[in-house]
Amino acid sequence: MIPLAAVIAVRPGGSSSDRRLWIPVPLFLVWLLALPFLVLALPIFFIACLASRVNPFRALWVLWQLLCALRKTHVSVEDRETSILVHIF
Amino acid sequence: MSDSRRQVLDMLAAGQITVEEADRLIAAIEDRPAPAAATGLAERPATAPRYLRVIVNAVDDDEGPIRVNVRAPLQLLRAGVRLASLIPPQAQDEVNAALRQHGVGFDLSQIKPENLDELIDHLGDLTVDVDGEPNLNVRVFCE
Repeated sequence: MIPLAAVIAVRPGGSSSDRRLWIPVPLFLVWLLALPFLVLALPIFFIACLASRVNPFRALWVLWQLLCALRKTHVSVEDRETSILVHIF
Repeated sequence: MSDSRRQVLDMLAAGQITVEEADRLIAAIEDRPAPAAATGLAERPATAPRYLRVIVNAVDDDEGPIRVNVRAPLQLLRAGVRLASLIPPQAQDEVNAALRQHGVGFDLSQIKPENLDELIDHLGDLTVDVDGEPNLNVRVFCE
């Protein structure tokens, strides 16, 4: 299953408090919006794969697995003033 | 009483070691898990790790303390290695040459999907602690 949502939490530099700005990212909407473009790009993808002698179906399967594996990824970076957190659900 | 403990006590009785040394040895024996044959339990595999963690704690003169905390699913690593196996042969040669130039004698074509599980199983025992610079601490481990 591909990730359907993510959250980004930012504490901007220069803010006096420890409060973070939480930004929910509905990834399912991103996928829905990107779908028509992906369908349009599919023939180009197939041609590029065949030109470089890569099985396009296998490439698609691996990319899909890569996308699915992004779930539960968590990255946070913080210093004294700024912090950013990304969590993919 | 286990053989190891009896051996330590015998050494203590013979005056070969001090009480403190015996105490340390017995503590070390108690920390060590009992062998499967002695407990009558079959050896069970530990829970498979699911995430690769990278934790960096650094202190910068200008920025102050910096913390980086990354938790990446091992599944992502699997998918990444599979992606690497899709690299066309001619591109693999170029990547291998570039790696060799930087002193990394690694052949990308050696990464096969069938070796992946073995590789990831061994990652479970991986813990890398880097304390090279005075204000930098890097820890890489699986959980």
